[in-house]
Amino acid sequence: MATRREKGLRQGLPALVPLCALLIALAGVLVGPARADDTVQVSQLVKDMRKYDGKVVTIHGEAIGDVMVRGTYAWITVNDDRYSKKSIEESGELIGMSNSGIGVWVLERDTRDIKIYGGYKNKGAEVRLTGVFNRACHEHGGDTDIHATSLEVLKPGYPFSHPFPYDKLLTVVLLTCAIGLLWYWRGIKSKRYAKQE
Amino acid sequence: MILRPTRDDLKLIAWGIGRVILGIGLIMLVPLAVAVVSTEWITVLDFLVGITACVTFWLIMENTCRVRGRDLTWSHGLVVASAGWLVAMLFGAIPHFLSGHFKAYLDACFDLMSGYTTTGLIMIQDLDHVSHGLNMWRHLLTYAGGQGIIVIALTFLFAGTAGAFKIYVSEGKEEQLLPNVVRTARAIWMISLTYLVVGSTLIYISLLWEGMPAGRGLLHSVWLFMGAWSTGGFAPQNLNLLYYHSLFVELATMLIFIIGSFNFALHYAVWTRRRTEIWKNIEIRSFTITSMIATFMLAIGFSKMEVYTTLTEFFRKGYYNLISGHTTTGNSTIFSTSFYKEFGFIAMWAITLAMAIGASACSTGGGFKGLRMGIVTKSLWGDIKTLVSPESAVVREKVHHVRDIWLDDALVKGTMLVMLSYVFIYAVGGLLGVIYGYQPSVAFFDAASAGSNTGLSAGLTTPLMPALLKVWYIIEMWAGRLEFMSVFALFGMSAAMIIGRGKKTRLLKGRR
Repeated sequence: MATRREKGLRQGLPALVPLCALLIALAGVLVGPARADDTVQVSQLVKDMRKYDGKVVTIHGEAIGDVMVRGTYAWITVNDDRYSKKSIEESGELIGMSNSGIGVWVLERDTRDIKIYGGYKNKGAEVRLTGVFNRACHEHGGDTDIHATSLEVLKPGYPFSHPFPYDKLLTVVLLTCAIGLLWYWRGIKSKRYAKQE
Repeated sequence: MILRPTRDDLKLIAWGIGRVILGIGLIMLVPLAVAVVSTEWITVLDFLVGITACVTFWLIMENTCRVRGRDLTWSHGLVVASAGWLVAMLFGAIPHFLSGHFKAYLDACFDLMSGYTTTGLIMIQDLDHVSHGLNMWRHLLTYAGGQGIIVIALTFLFAGTAGAFKIYVSEGKEEQLLPNVVRTARAIWMISLTYLVVGSTLIYISLLWEGMPAGRGLLHSVWLFMGAWSTGGFAPQNLNLLYYHSLFVELATMLIFIIGSFNFALHYAVWTRRRTEIWKNIEIRSFTITSMIATFMLAIGFSKMEVYTTLTEFFRKGYYNLISGHTTTGNSTIFSTSFYKEFGFIAMWAITLAMAIGASACSTGGGFKGLRMGIVTKSLWGDIKTLVSPESAVVREKVHHVRDIWLDDALVKGTMLVMLSYVFIYAVGGLLGVIYGYQPSVAFFDAASAGSNTGLSAGLTTPLMPALLKVWYIIEMWAGRLEFMSVFALFGMSAAMIIGRGKKTRLLKGRR
């Protein structure tokens, strides 16, 4: 026979489960590794530089352009705009702005996992990185940058497939034909003028 | 009495414009070659469409508008220059628009005019995914535009015509380095190409030193040189010079855009071993004084804001952007929003004023120009001296620009007219921005940047800005680059077509 105290505990336990889950989730957010929903947009960092200056931030985007190795560290650029998700070269939508990205100072060995950087022919590797945001970095002559403490490649880059634009080819062919006709006409006019002279 | 232009006048102008457009088509061969080497086949097609369209237009003009036995007059030259830039914008924008990186043809035209006029403001979207071919075209057109697209046409296509000098002067270049204008145009190209080799090498070494991959580094060095030398300020990546995080690259580009902002006549004088010209030239003196005043204002602004606190930071973030603005370049080492968030009111206005004053006459730069600042300052000084001198005294002032120039009323009046025209376009652009709800500092900053062909932006110039502002900025860039005279001539001719008299009168007889 269960005592009154045991009965009370049995009734109270189910109520504790969601509370514990909430606490664990909160702890995970506060001390665990960065998740996608922790991330800050670069546009937000640039807009509120004063607020984020010197703070640890996490950004998530496309490694773009080039890696510039400087000793044991390297500079990479990470864009997190809409084009970093779907570029115009991938038939992405025009959203009325240019790119939004930031320079990241990171250990060179951490960049070795990034095999492809974004450009005309490629979608760059998707990365998530955490580091200290500097509004005017004293180590780098006042640059606005992030000094990364961790970098994780979430998805490797890949080459874009550009469909062949037959309409453009047809335009070139038609214009070339027009040039041929106009050139012929020019020749006739020149001959006529030479005769008149 | 205003005379209405005849059909022959209009045909001559159209024929001249046709040749300018052929020049644009020929320049497109360079990005076409880059696209072929980079195996960017869609970009290759974009340029083939552009080139064939230019050649078609030229042939139509040749066949329908050539007037045998007549040459260009001054009026024709002025209109060919001003209208030629507008038509060149429409044709040059073809590869831009076909790339798919522009929302509207107006945006592509905006970037073209920005490139030709060496302004550097951009509407292109997703720049970081742009092809090498298109990037070469963006930078090449600003490099070519710096020398003047008319100069290009003169170099190759107008040889032997007496009207060549008339359109050369109409493009805002009054200096004739050599007795023959075609040789002058070629001398300008020789100076620019020599610097291209030297400057690109300097930047390439800096980029390699900073860890840039060799292949892309080569392309970037040429593009950065073209952007800096032409005082256009374009760069292949969205972060502009901030992308490279390099003091060496900043020093190299700064040196190049300062040299690029000097008058071609000054370059020629130095090349022909008249080196003392550097110290005596009014434009160099004017530039030195105005940049010192602006630097002082910048220092006060920075000390108030306390964001950039060390000397290196002052140099790389403050002085670099100030001189970039003063030479009307537009290369930048900061985010555009930093101008009003991190620089503060005083420093931001220091750059705005430096942009408005601008670089040298007959250079790749824009703005009032050092020569005009010198003439107006000397004229004011002369007036003050007249006031304090005895009545019988005759006070005359001169400025030294390659040779001594004595100031007279006509010269000062002409100078003031051009300066007031600049103030007018800056003011209208700024007010339009304010009416659309932008902050006054931001609105006037971007308006001055467009009118002086600088290209720095405080964040207003984006593809989302109102279409009317885009059109006005295009007009600002175009009129500012041509220094107004050709633009007045175009408006004059348009008015004459409507209200002019005499169907059979010609503007000026131009028979050889």
